[in-house]
Amino acid sequence: MIKGLYAAASAMLAGINRQQAIAHDVANLDTPGFKQVLTSLDDFKLTQILKTNPNAMADPVSYLGMLGLGVESVKDSTDFSQGGLQDTGNEFDLAISGEGFFRVKTPAGERYTRDGRFIKDALGNLTTVDGNQVLNSSGQPIKLTDGETVIAPDGTITVNGVAAGQIGVASFKEPKNELTRDGENTFTATGAPTGTDKGPISQGFLEMSNANPTQLMTQLVEVSRSYEAAQQMVQNQDELLGKTIASLGRIG
Amino acid sequence: MSGSLFHVLNISRIDMLTKMDDLDIVSNNVANINTSGYKSNRGNFQEMLEKLNYEGVTLSSSQLITKQGAIHETNNQLDVAIQGNGFFGLTIAAGKTGYTRDGQFLLDASGRLVNSNGYPLVWTGTIPLEATEVQIQEDGLVRALVGDDWIDAGIIQLTRFANPSGLTNNGNNILLESDSSGAPQAGAPGSTNFGTLMAHSIEGSNVNYADEVTHLMTLQRAFQMSTRTFQTTDTMISQAIHMRKA
Repeated sequence: MIKGLYAAASAMLAGINRQQAIAHDVANLDTPGFKQVLTSLDDFKLTQILKTNPNAMADPVSYLGMLGLGVESVKDSTDFSQGGLQDTGNEFDLAISGEGFFRVKTPAGERYTRDGRFIKDALGNLTTVDGNQVLNSSGQPIKLTDGETVIAPDGTITVNGVAAGQIGVASFKEPKNELTRDGENTFTATGAPTGTDKGPISQGFLEMSNANPTQLMTQLVEVSRSYEAAQQMVQNQDELLGKTIASLGRIG
Repeated sequence: MSGSLFHVLNISRIDMLTKMDDLDIVSNNVANINTSGYKSNRGNFQEMLEKLNYEGVTLSSSQLITKQGAIHETNNQLDVAIQGNGFFGLTIAAGKTGYTRDGQFLLDASGRLVNSNGYPLVWTGTIPLEATEVQIQEDGLVRALVGDDWIDAGIIQLTRFANPSGLTNNGNNILLESDSSGAPQAGAPGSTNFGTLMAHSIEGSNVNYADEVTHLMTLQRAFQMSTRTFQTTDTMISQAIHMRKA
């Protein structure tokens, strides 16, 4: 069939993926520790255009150039830029300014997060609000005794003045390539932490979502219009096809 | 990886419902801005993901924020506020204890200290009926003036928990222990990890008006964006449906 039909339809399908990412980012505008999704598109495939020569003596087929066959969505990437810090004043709300991730232990293994909403559970373990244990710099759960807890910018914990361990911070040289998002505001890593830069931890603060409303609204308009344009193209191809069938194919 | 536009509509729908739930929490906080001893709630949002499929946001939990509220002086000798950790214990039913930071007490007909709902305070003493004045000290010692003499009437102890944010709400400004709060530990005010008492004072609500109003504003804007996203997705669906002119 007409290549253009499929090319235009591919643009519509890509539009769906972009819209899904935008809806997800908009939904998480207020989620602490959220890192927004960035979509990207790529040329689908290129095919050769050939022309058949009417002159039988010359080369029967000559090469004219390459034709794109549409667009495809490539794997989404994550924007790891810093979110704003909000002052909550809660003893166990922590935020990292700069590089690094908190280490949490989930039933599925070790995960990394920027979401510093922690509590001290009934047994004294430092956990996330979902109940996952926060790990120290050696990868072990942190157990705190009763008392006033102070967390220094380098992660050292003191309870009523007595040292009680250090919050584990894992740093990655290239989070974009090494981390994939895993739900509940966490990320999984393909390997061990590779970076060394660890930003300071602020107690009583939360890092908010890095989704930018202005950017998202602009993208919304962009996706909507490109979807409309693609739909228009499909319609045009359809009409062309209709005319071809109706007029050219008519007998009598 | 490719979803359908109806799934995208669902993301926006759940997004809007979640924001409405958060609005309930914030409204409740604002309504209790003058409730003495009230502890505010915070809704915790989480990103939702199903493998690599984006699912939007959900309200995963509501966290009790146990920060200290501001303490105001009153003229009542039976008003007492806690500065620091700890809760008052109240007997709310036979064998059942509730906990509160609301220290507005009264003397009932039998001379017991009760709160505004009539629940008696859990403590080791009684106030003599003929007492003319009551003094509550920082360390919990209660003294009563009978005739011309001050007598010791008992000690008010405080109860603390490993995880106070895990206490559950029973209504009427009363909190109950739960598995996540840990077992209640009683102790004298002023001892390690316990706060002190301040007589002639009450602890105000720990709801910060500026924070809650700002939260309301961001909530409203986020909701507007969700509706706009929903409408755009709807337009896209409509365009796909109307692709064939004939």
